[in-house]
Amino acid sequence: MSNAIETQGLRYRAGKDFEIRDLSLTVREGAIYGFLGPNGAGKTTTIQLILGQLRPQGGTISVLGRRVPQDLPAILAETGYVPERPHLYPYLSVNEAIRYHAAFYVAFDGAYADQMLGTFELPRDRKLSRLSKGEMGKLHMLLVLAQRPKLLVLDEPTDGLDPVVRRDVLSALLDFCSRGGATVFISSHLVHELERVCDWVGLLDRGRLVAELPMDAFKNGIKRIRLVRAPATSIPTPFEVVSRGAEVGGEAWLVRGWEPPMAQWFQQAGAEVRAIEDLDLEDGFVELLRGARGPAA
Amino acid sequence: MFRQILWAQWLAARLAVAILGVLAFAAPLLAVFWGGDLRSAGSDQVAYWLQGSERIAALLPYLALLIGVAAGFLAWSPDHAGRHVYALSLPVSRARFVALRFGAGAVITAVPALALLAGAIVASLSVSLPEGLHAYPVQLTLRFLLASLTLYAIIFALSISTKRAQLLTAGAFGGVILADLLLAAWGVSFSVTAETLILLTTWPGPLSILAGAWTLFDV
Repeated sequence: MSNAIETQGLRYRAGKDFEIRDLSLTVREGAIYGFLGPNGAGKTTTIQLILGQLRPQGGTISVLGRRVPQDLPAILAETGYVPERPHLYPYLSVNEAIRYHAAFYVAFDGAYADQMLGTFELPRDRKLSRLSKGEMGKLHMLLVLAQRPKLLVLDEPTDGLDPVVRRDVLSALLDFCSRGGATVFISSHLVHELERVCDWVGLLDRGRLVAELPMDAFKNGIKRIRLVRAPATSIPTPFEVVSRGAEVGGEAWLVRGWEPPMAQWFQQAGAEVRAIEDLDLEDGFVELLRGARGPAA
Repeated sequence: MFRQILWAQWLAARLAVAILGVLAFAAPLLAVFWGGDLRSAGSDQVAYWLQGSERIAALLPYLALLIGVAAGFLAWSPDHAGRHVYALSLPVSRARFVALRFGAGAVITAVPALALLAGAIVASLSVSLPEGLHAYPVQLTLRFLLASLTLYAIIFALSISTKRAQLLTAGAFGGVILADLLLAAWGVSFSVTAETLILLTTWPGPLSILAGAWTLFDV
């Protein structure tokens, strides 16, 4: 299977405090890839690099098998992009915005756009400057879905939307994906939102890719293990120790890549396992971030 | 694609273009306001009338300048407001998008010129000229259009140029003014601003189109 997005050693620096460092990420074709990270982690910058809106200081980017920025128009013809903040021209009406957008895309599906206008209850003749945030979000989603893209890049598409609109937007996205097999790259800091839709997760923090793994592995493979007589750090483990810390009566380890038979390893190492706890996605996200920011104790 | 860009750009610029178009239409009519039948008028009377007409016509370069500046700024202002994110996500090369935007702005710039042409034709028909004096509505319109387009092209380029280029341009203007102030402080009777303006507005200066004859009526 080929990759829809692939970056190798991507570097970008903006000012003194922000830097994307050697970012190598892989989004497989057909995947719904959740790009997670706290605010300011560099998600939007990464997306702008991938779409050729910013010029990297190093590294390579390929999208849909083509090179960025050399093949950008061909890439963008097959890519739908919903930016973090709406940037459509506010003096256009909804109808005019659709006509304007459609003029750039050969495969634009006008009938689908009409249908979605009804589904999203968007007023055709209203100026964009008079649309609510939710209506603007829906319009953006309508435009990119009607493009019939092979790749959808969504930058916090539901941020600031009320739950009803959020559900409408995500439903439209899932409906589109179930029909077409497009690849979706969706950035968010709303962990639970991605849990519902994504099958792959990349975790970005301070410009570094902390983890990239299938959603199942992210959900099920991260455990908090409470131990008595914890073994030394130098012993090799069959799982990855993200972090470990002392607690009353022993230690708590956060491990990644966990599978139930691995419990035997602790017994062999002379430790007693008191509890193996599942982490919900948000806890896993937070713990992974903590582990990445500080060395395992 | 061009039609949609033109339409979107027109919506952004229409108010300014409409106001300037009305002024362009009205200017030639004002120039013949005191005219009428000049065939039997004396030469002093005709000369006096021509002077009045030229005074109005002298406003036309400023009008062309305003049109060029407005069309240049408004071509990019919606994209500037959105930090060009939407424009850069569209599947056209940057060069082609700039060309499409420029073309649309050029078409919009022609609208006040058409209004001027209409006003100039009406004005020409409303006055009976003495022998030897002729109306030049088409020539005046072409000059007006060329002046508008020149100013439009300059502002368009500045508007889309890098921050560095914009700063350099602003710095050059500031430098000229500063040089004048320093020269004045030292009592030197030489104006860098005046010399620069002469350089720009005399052929082959880029603004030479603004100078010269702008009259609707001539021999």
